[in-house]
Amino acid sequence: MGLYLAQQLINAFSYGSILGLLAVGYTMIYGILGLINFAHGEIFMIGAFVCFFLVTLYQVPWVIAALAAVAASTVSGLILERIVYRPCVRRKAPVLTVFIASFGASLFLRFLFMMFFTDRRRAFPIPELFEKMYFLGEIAIGLRDIIIFVSTIIIMALVAVFIKYTKVGTAMRGVSYDAKTAELMGINSIKVIVVAFAVGSALAGVSAIEYGLTFGILNPGMGFMPGLEGFIAAVLGGIGNVPGAMIAGFLIGGGEILFVALLPPSLSPLRPLFVWALLFVILFVKPTGLFRPNVKFEGLWGE
Amino acid sequence: MLLSIKNVTAGYEKAQVLKDITLDVEAKEIVALLGANGAGKTTTLQCIAGVIKPWIGSVSLRNRDLAPFAPYQIVAMGISCCPEGRDVFANLSVYENLRIGAYLIRGAKEFRARLDRVYSLFPRLQQRLNQLSGSLSGGEQQMLAIARALMANPELLLLDEPSLGLAPILVESIYNTIQEINAAGKAILLVEQNVGLALEVSSRGYVLEKGEIRLSGPSPELQDSEYVKASYLGIA
Repeated sequence: MGLYLAQQLINAFSYGSILGLLAVGYTMIYGILGLINFAHGEIFMIGAFVCFFLVTLYQVPWVIAALAAVAASTVSGLILERIVYRPCVRRKAPVLTVFIASFGASLFLRFLFMMFFTDRRRAFPIPELFEKMYFLGEIAIGLRDIIIFVSTIIIMALVAVFIKYTKVGTAMRGVSYDAKTAELMGINSIKVIVVAFAVGSALAGVSAIEYGLTFGILNPGMGFMPGLEGFIAAVLGGIGNVPGAMIAGFLIGGGEILFVALLPPSLSPLRPLFVWALLFVILFVKPTGLFRPNVKFEGLWGE
Repeated sequence: MLLSIKNVTAGYEKAQVLKDITLDVEAKEIVALLGANGAGKTTTLQCIAGVIKPWIGSVSLRNRDLAPFAPYQIVAMGISCCPEGRDVFANLSVYENLRIGAYLIRGAKEFRARLDRVYSLFPRLQQRLNQLSGSLSGGEQQMLAIARALMANPELLLLDEPSLGLAPILVESIYNTIQEINAAGKAILLVEQNVGLALEVSSRGYVLEKGEIRLSGPSPELQDSEYVKASYLGIA
């Protein structure tokens, strides 16, 4: 039992990384724009598909394909911002309009890919090298788990430093809190929004690669559940709070895996219950999330 | 002429606030903009800062019309705003607020120099550099808001009700600092409900009522005016 649990711990970390990276993207964008980018899961999915096609159709070396996938996600996110969200910001669209636009973008992208590629699950390319197993006592750790582990830690550390110590990162936190006053400091909030989308979308791309490596499959609908769970993690971490989102991502992703691990097999379809139950409990006890949110709450939420 | 507002009519969405106002500020002077709540003082500042645009008339900085520019560009041109109600970034530390105020500065030396100037004006802030600005007292937040506006090294500083909600001894201290800032060469447009105080530090003043300029002139004249004394200073 202890061994099984230890083994699941590794999976827990991988899934936690995937959700953590997605959560950071959501929280950055929500923090700055006050809008939920429902299409974030599709940005994730596009990254996975780009990697898949580059490797299987064009025999591109995996590492290059992975980097291209992250770039593709970033570009998709930037296009999305330009076409869908910036007009909303410019015209000061009401929340409901933005909600509909965001949801619409998500459905559009998902069904566009379904139309071209059908919803059939395909095998995500995993380099043979990554299948190599190392043994810590009796626990098997794959090279891919190590790669996911190391790269996630590095990336999250870089993002945390960026947010906390660079001028643009500080500006992002300022705009997140009070965009109007930030403009009075000479900050072009549109530029800051673009940076948030670029970083958030790049992280979604990395998350997609990790997802592909961990689960080995991809399909047009793959972004829906991880996206939703990533969003829940962002809320749990305190909206706009980047380190909070990282931690919450691990809590939810890791927790979900361990929850299933501890359940008797017959009850494993209850897996999604974990996330929703956790959300319910935490919102009941601490509605603003586990950590301090990074937005100025006015009216609707109140504190 | 540094700042020139000519026949400006403006408001928000469909609500008109300002009606045909004309106002100007010369370099290095302190001008007071006075009036009761709702008279349109903050609206005037928002017009200057570029947050709202005049419906009729123009706002010009050194003869350059500010209408086509966004607020962040107007800051770069030399106007810095310290909004009403302080509006510090409560989620950031004192230092980070100052850092954001200096967003447009390139080069660490220039940043360092401005920081030092701000520290000499507000030593209290230097003691609380890493403190979350949301946890500062009202007076300290006001100091931070002014300091932050100064980090942009403006030629014209817009101050919106710096005395609001502060204890008299703090108000005195802030007003001394305002005079120091002016002595260092910055023009200040001072919006205030506290008429007596504002007229003491300024060289000229405008009285705004219901969106129109009711009275204007050198401050000593306004202080002596029967109208001002009766309506604003409570002296019959």
